[in-house]
Amino acid sequence: MTTTRQHPEETDRGDVVDLLLAQHGRIEELFRAVRGSSGRAKQEAFEELTHLLSIHETAEEEIVHPAARTSIDAGDEVVQARLAEEHDAKELLAGLMKLDVQTPEFDAELDRLRIAVYEHAKREERYEFMQLRAAHPPERLVRMAGALRAAEKIAPTRPHPGVESATKNLLLGPPTALVDRVRDAVRDAMRD
Amino acid sequence: MTFDPLTTQGIPLERQLRNWRELDVTPLDPDDTDPYTRCRVIVMNGIEVEAIMFSHHLARTCPDPEVKRQLAYTRYLEAQQQRVVNWLLPPIASTLETTIAYEQVAVDLTAWVARMEPDPYLKQAYEFGVLEDFDHLYRYANLFEMVERRKAEKVVDQLTEVMPGRPTKMHHRHPYDNVRDPYDRTTVDPLSKMHALTVMSAEQQTMNFYMNVGPQYMEPIARQLYQEIGLIEEEHVTHYESLVDPGETWWERLVNHEYNEVYLYHSFMTQESDPRVRAIWELHLNMELAQLHQAVELFRRHDGREPEEILPRELPVPVTFEPNKEYLRHLLATQIDLTTLGAGYVREAHERFEKMQEALHGGEQPPSEEVIDLHRERFGDEYRIETEGPHPVERLRETAEARR
Repeated sequence: MTTTRQHPEETDRGDVVDLLLAQHGRIEELFRAVRGSSGRAKQEAFEELTHLLSIHETAEEEIVHPAARTSIDAGDEVVQARLAEEHDAKELLAGLMKLDVQTPEFDAELDRLRIAVYEHAKREERYEFMQLRAAHPPERLVRMAGALRAAEKIAPTRPHPGVESATKNLLLGPPTALVDRVRDAVRDAMRD
Repeated sequence: MTFDPLTTQGIPLERQLRNWRELDVTPLDPDDTDPYTRCRVIVMNGIEVEAIMFSHHLARTCPDPEVKRQLAYTRYLEAQQQRVVNWLLPPIASTLETTIAYEQVAVDLTAWVARMEPDPYLKQAYEFGVLEDFDHLYRYANLFEMVERRKAEKVVDQLTEVMPGRPTKMHHRHPYDNVRDPYDRTTVDPLSKMHALTVMSAEQQTMNFYMNVGPQYMEPIARQLYQEIGLIEEEHVTHYESLVDPGETWWERLVNHEYNEVYLYHSFMTQESDPRVRAIWELHLNMELAQLHQAVELFRRHDGREPEEILPRELPVPVTFEPNKEYLRHLLATQIDLTTLGAGYVREAHERFEKMQEALHGGEQPPSEEVIDLHRERFGDEYRIETEGPHPVERLRETAEARR
């Protein structure tokens, strides 16, 4: 008997950093799932990974990076470096989506993406998220978690390299009403 | 065919120096690495750190400038070995992930040593200690999920169970009670000397690691837990180092150190699944042989003795990383309530223990308890990996409602 438990909902009580960390953890699990499966299961795991990566990165670009840019030390430089990494990762992901998951080329490209995403996530955790947590009061960080979730709900579910800014992400698709909802959520989250 | 470290030629010392390109090793990929490969890396790092620090201490008491120069040279080589070994650790792993791997080492290495140890008093020392590292693994695993939102299973796989051992708060003994009796160097099985040196070095590195990385955390519970467990590692180093006969000469101890490095690199080379890492173990084994021969020469010259008087007749059974689940469950069921009194073990909480506990806890919950309470509060349960059924000690089973 093995008992290791899942905690799908626990982040609902956490702040935006908890939510981001949980999603990083989930992304790592999905990479392992894609690598450890074949056939239909592999395709499904990859689709889930594509979906989560896309909405996660978009929501970071809309909510997290703008907040970090103005509130942490050397925010501009830190965020600029993260955006460049996100751009590269999106290009890798877009290329990967054109390949058949059963091919060796897919596995090789997946590995490049995996390492790029792991390194990017670790840099965010070390150089951005922890500073963000120190720079904002806990209530605001909890509100930002709500804004992040709202942004993910309307974010594009496929990668779009080249739109690493909040405005461009929002121009990409969602109807105006939804855009406004996210803007409201962001404004509420950042209010004192 | 027996491999005799005393007669097998290694790489001559003057050819052991490595350049930057050779030192710049590609780190492990955590998704592709056997957890026990990472364990072997952590052990050999601890062994090399001890080799370096031992040589520094020896040099500080050594009046002969020529010998000092020889020691400095070989120590530099050992320092390069340490850099190569420890730089195998993945940069994309967090400190806490590495911490969990350190505790997996402490559990499965100490359990192996306990199982193989021929001397009953020494065996008891390892059996006593392993139940504490086992509990540390459980506390850190709960911290890991809380502050990094990841599961310890991704580090330890299902090779090592994660559940309560002897509760960490009970590890805080009066320092007097951490001093054990030493083995007798003239009668002890040489394997026992290797065991003591190995476990002492691993625990010492764990202590160094926790006392240095702990303050880097921002979360108060993480800072506090590293401080608490870091202090227990201080107790563990005291516990294990006191097993070593203080009557061993400096040169005798140098030979023991070098022989032990040969023994461990050889052990790990024979079982390593990662070919790239195996090549490093093999290279380092060949380097260690020449380092051992140099130590033997110094021992002959200064002590006028032969290495055969102090070393195993042949290389002992390789130290092996493998699951020890059944053995640990047996120890949990039979030894969880032990503490120490003087150099022995008792079941009752004696006066000196109680006084130490009172002075340290001051009627409050220590961080090791708080981390579990906080986890229960935030997640509704504890993080555990129980692959072999419910906890062998009934009172340490998680309640049904906590398990949801």
